[in-house]
Amino acid sequence: MHPTGSPAGAPPPVLELRDVTVQGRRSHRLAGVSLQLRPGERVALLGASGAGKSTLLAVANGLLPPAGGELFWEGAAPARSHRLRQRQRARIGTLWQDLRLIEELSVQQNLNAARLATWGWPRALRNLLQPLETPANAAALQQVDLDPALLSQSVTALSGGQRQRLAIARLLRQQPTLLLADEPLAHLDPRLAAELLALLLRQATAPRALLLSLHRPDLVSGFDRVLALQAGRLVLDAPPGAVDAALIQTLYGAQPPPWPDGPP
Amino acid sequence: MTPQATASHPRPGPAPPLLMLLPALVLLPLAVLLPGLVHGGGWELIGQFAAAALTPSLDPALLASAFRGLGVTVAIALLGWALSLALGLVGGVLSSRTVWRTLVGGAWSAVVLRRFLAVPRSIHELLWGLLLLQLVGLQPAVAVLAIAIPYAALVARVISDLLDALPTGPLDGLRAAGAGGAAALLTALGPALLPGAFSYSGYRLECALRSATLLGVFGLGGLGTELRLTLQSLQFHELWTCLWLLLAVMLLLEGLLRLLRQRWGMPGRFGLAAGGIGSRGRELLLALLALLPVLLLLALALGVNPAALLVVQALPPFHPDWPSVLALPWGPLVGTTVLLSLLAAALAVGVAPLLLLLVAPWPWGRLLLQALWALGRLWPPPLTALLLLFVLKPGLVTAALALAFHNLGVLGRLLLEAADTAAGSAVGGDAEAALRCAGCGPRLALFYGRFSGLARSYLAYGAYRADVILRETVVVGLVGAAGLGTLLLEALSSFAVDQLLALVAVYAVLTLVGEDLSDRARRRLLAG
Repeated sequence: MHPTGSPAGAPPPVLELRDVTVQGRRSHRLAGVSLQLRPGERVALLGASGAGKSTLLAVANGLLPPAGGELFWEGAAPARSHRLRQRQRARIGTLWQDLRLIEELSVQQNLNAARLATWGWPRALRNLLQPLETPANAAALQQVDLDPALLSQSVTALSGGQRQRLAIARLLRQQPTLLLADEPLAHLDPRLAAELLALLLRQATAPRALLLSLHRPDLVSGFDRVLALQAGRLVLDAPPGAVDAALIQTLYGAQPPPWPDGPP
Repeated sequence: MTPQATASHPRPGPAPPLLMLLPALVLLPLAVLLPGLVHGGGWELIGQFAAAALTPSLDPALLASAFRGLGVTVAIALLGWALSLALGLVGGVLSSRTVWRTLVGGAWSAVVLRRFLAVPRSIHELLWGLLLLQLVGLQPAVAVLAIAIPYAALVARVISDLLDALPTGPLDGLRAAGAGGAAALLTALGPALLPGAFSYSGYRLECALRSATLLGVFGLGGLGTELRLTLQSLQFHELWTCLWLLLAVMLLLEGLLRLLRQRWGMPGRFGLAAGGIGSRGRELLLALLALLPVLLLLALALGVNPAALLVVQALPPFHPDWPSVLALPWGPLVGTTVLLSLLAAALAVGVAPLLLLLVAPWPWGRLLLQALWALGRLWPPPLTALLLLFVLKPGLVTAALALAFHNLGVLGRLLLEAADTAAGSAVGGDAEAALRCAGCGPRLALFYGRFSGLARSYLAYGAYRADVILRETVVVGLVGAAGLGTLLLEALSSFAVDQLLALVAVYAVLTLVGEDLSDRARRRLLAG
């Protein structure tokens, strides 16, 4: 079984969904969604609340097995064997809206937690006793503009913005090929949101691809492509230029989303 | 370094989840020691014992006597528990500093009473039972009193701790508005006390059922007696009949209490902070009132006769031989007792999370653990010790294993409940889910994601448990090498009153010191 549309020799899409359906209680949460994410692509996902953005991301990171359709990660369907599926998931990094840092551990230990998928128990235990892989962790912090001196700090001592950056640094330590982010910019002030978005876009270079759900159409200009969901159906798959007032009207209905700086 | 800087750095040393596994290190020396302790003999017997679990005897005569025994055990537990609650509530109010300060002005009498109440609770219910047995002879009330005395002191301590920990703002407010002392206390502290007090008393009822079973093992009535007799005569099918019955009652009781706790919005055992006041106070009081006639009927059925308690048996002539008492090897005795407690505590505290990690990937693993831990809670440690003697030589390790298995049952269940709560909460469970999503295995995800948050409160509870275990060492005294416990049981059966007095005194002092140390450890763990 191979994903379609990849010419011989070219790398397979990082993520491919073919006619994916997820059944909700009353209606489809996702209905026949097909999409491809190529290496290096940065894709924004738009849609009103309840349109299926979070469901799509949960399918993409393997948390939610689709009821119908097919799913491929780097050209391979989710493995049946537990261990193989684990190896596939290790290549998918998810940025959670609530960050999901481990509050009782230090910054360094949290960064190393991203390596647990490949580490065995001996290293997992040593990580709780002494600093491990400090250079790699320091480099990850620098990539997100954090001071490497923070490594030995407790996570609880960080500010809100620092925690956001740390969560991204932890993603980088996981070395994923697919970066997923579910509304990472919600509840952030505009300046911090813009900074973090730039940071995330910068990290998504080939072979890594980025799929990020957003509730603000004004922020899509930096992406390569924009997808839009409406009631579980994909209604747009186009370059960011295609996002216009008419589309916004269809997506969000009478109540427009926050649009602080005017139409893009 | 400024305080802020110290706060932002994690403490040096092992991080929380690892801290939780450290007590399990005790398994290493044990693995070295155990092969030398196996005497080879009775593996066949152990096999027969295990196999009999599936084929309990259904003989009508046995069933009838088992049900009668079960009735006695449950009646003893309920009566002992109710009496301890009544006495404990009074004792708790009387030893509360807040109450004295409000009513009289000074709090010194509360402090004195609190010290005084430490004595009855430092002596295990089994010891109370055996002492009372010597004093007033075998009668149903002995087991009831044996449970009621130490439990009342425990309840009193918890009640007074709860009372003194309540914010005094509402009380001061009422007093300032001119309310009388008693009325102000009742209004300001009464409702706030309820959730914690009732949650704790429910837990004490669970303990009372286990204690009543244990007292039976030592011949004070009830199903415990049958358990011991059938075990010693190797009638395993009959034994399992009794055991299944007891297990059913215990699980039923625990399930009922869990439901009530949820319904009345009371805190679990693990979270030390009390939850909001249960909004169903009236329903709760009605339930208690309904319990009163039941208790009276039970007392009648059991044949409890308070007057018979006052008839003290003729004691053997008392010729104390203090020099020979002093000549006892006190150092090694105390040392062995402490070592036994620490070994058992470390085993119980360490093995529970280890097993939870082990079964994490298997859907049926949880169920297996629940069953194992229910058995551990119920099965009295002296009987585990007897069972272990089929294959192990008597001694400290055997005694420790027996104690550890029982306490593993208690700790394991609490850990499982706390872990389930954490899985439902926003922080612990989500961190675990995030790790799983990133390809982390189920065991490591549980270890990093959920144990991190649980570690401190779990270890704090472990420190409390170590204190309980120290008190409990006497129950495995019959295997020998249990230090003070062994000698105590010997002194009891040989009527050596001088030795007995000295041993009880030393034991009480030791458990008081242990209680203090465990309190300190707990406070430090929870503060970190």
